[in-house]
Amino acid sequence: MAEGKIKHYSDMLQKKEISCTELTEAFLSNIESANKDLNAYVTVTADTALNTAKAVDKKLSLGEMLAPLEGIPMTLKDNISTKGIPTTCCSKILEGYTPIFNATVWEILSANNAVLLGKTNMDEFAMGSSCETSCFGGATNPHNINHVAGGSSGGVASAVGGNIAVYGLGSDTGGSIRQPASFCGIVGLKPSYGAVSRFGLIAYASSLDQIGPVTSTVEDAAIVYDAISAYDKMDSTSQGRRGEPTALSIKNDIKGMKIGIAREYLDGVRDDVKLSIEKACEVYKSLGAEIVYFNLPALKYALPVYYILACAEASSNLGRYDGIRYGYRTSSYKDVNEMICKTRSEGFGDEVKRRILLGTYVLSAGYYDAYYKKAQNLRGSILNAFKDAFKNCDVILAPTVPMTAFEKGNAISDPIETYLTDICTVPVNIAGLPGISIPCGCDANGLPIGMQLIGNTFCESTILNAAWQYENAVGSEVFKESPYGVKI
Amino acid sequence: MVSHEDVLGIARLCKLYIADDELDSMTKVMDDIIRFADTINNASEEGAEFDNINNLSNAFREDEVVPSYDREEILKNANDVDEGHFLVRKRV
Repeated sequence: MAEGKIKHYSDMLQKKEISCTELTEAFLSNIESANKDLNAYVTVTADTALNTAKAVDKKLSLGEMLAPLEGIPMTLKDNISTKGIPTTCCSKILEGYTPIFNATVWEILSANNAVLLGKTNMDEFAMGSSCETSCFGGATNPHNINHVAGGSSGGVASAVGGNIAVYGLGSDTGGSIRQPASFCGIVGLKPSYGAVSRFGLIAYASSLDQIGPVTSTVEDAAIVYDAISAYDKMDSTSQGRRGEPTALSIKNDIKGMKIGIAREYLDGVRDDVKLSIEKACEVYKSLGAEIVYFNLPALKYALPVYYILACAEASSNLGRYDGIRYGYRTSSYKDVNEMICKTRSEGFGDEVKRRILLGTYVLSAGYYDAYYKKAQNLRGSILNAFKDAFKNCDVILAPTVPMTAFEKGNAISDPIETYLTDICTVPVNIAGLPGISIPCGCDANGLPIGMQLIGNTFCESTILNAAWQYENAVGSEVFKESPYGVKI
Repeated sequence: MVSHEDVLGIARLCKLYIADDELDSMTKVMDDIIRFADTINNASEEGAEFDNINNLSNAFREDEVVPSYDREEILKNANDVDEGHFLVRKRV
């Protein structure tokens, strides 16, 4: 399983074992059948994909070499702006909106002839952990369609896990790449804050959002990360990748690497998930790594800090939806104020409204100091606690989610219970760190379990290397193929 | 304790209508979430402060005029336009 799918398909193209048009058609035809079950795609861009495929075939016919991602069929989460292709955030309020510019990540990938199969499902404005707040209905889990794909990048994870995209890009504000990757038995990388440009990513919480790859293997994640991590003057928080391409260092020896386990990460985690983490520790020990245990008490406050800050930023970012310049507008109103209020009330779903209300509450006079300011200060404490932890270890190993994919319909009944599922993923966003989720087992019902490797700022190479070593050591033992999609 | 009045007041600030039949459930959910958020008030803030992530500094640049997006293209996404402008109903 350590052999990457990107290299596999790229080699097939380069050796002319298959044409890019044939490969693309195979994916499009599988999307047509599998998407009825998975609901992963909300827009399929067959013409765009086939036009790109033709350009790649032309290059191949001229004997030219392909770049690593050239001709590889892929997908983008539907909050990543694509010029001329609807971008909805899976919200009624962006009904009819077609961007007039590309997100920088798509500008980079399209310049490399990435074959865009379509845009994938997500929780509305990336607010949710099950993909079920999407106005298109949620994406389902490719290992059991009665269970959710996770969220918010549920569509990308379902598409990659269901083999109807080779890879995809998602966004991660509090776990939205890693959690669905864990639920769907695949790999999801949330890069360091600033490593990948956010220009053209429709904002949820700007100080926490980050775009990253969703792939089948660690090697694929490294290849995609290397392609998209570049400084961008269009994003004032952009820093780009530090150091060499990560794909060059993922197969390095990890003898002597210190892998830290923060005991707090294991509190309240289901027994089978905890057991999988313990087994992963044994694998790492067999590879020569050292396991070090420590306490990270600041984690106790990570979840409320996250929800206060994310909702505060969301309430500001989502103030722009007024029905005037783009998207949905209500049909009947008396004046401008009523138009804006009705447009927003009819256009946003319940979870988005809840988060806007909460964000407005914590920013309002009288509550700002008690909630927003205090949460910002605690963000500093959490950041410092991680910095201290990395003085004694190279990476931190933790569960990605305390459980496996829940049944459809269970997530939306109790918002607080749903928020609690993000407990292992949000600290990484609060501290701006890189984190990767990789499969590490299955539960009794055959649903995947994921584990998370967290690195110090801009240490993507370290976590990708540790992840690759685990993946290589366990092989197919913990990986499970979905019955869906393309298997060439 | 979050009240109906709190929810309606906040909704006015963020330009959302809360229907009468939604008010009880929205107030209950908001109250639950605020109680959950309140747990941070048990934390000590000693020595804690936050400026920004990853030591970012201001990204200054020269103030140069560069090509921008085409007005007609931008207006294609609007519901109502007139002579190159977004149209909204007269306020007074």
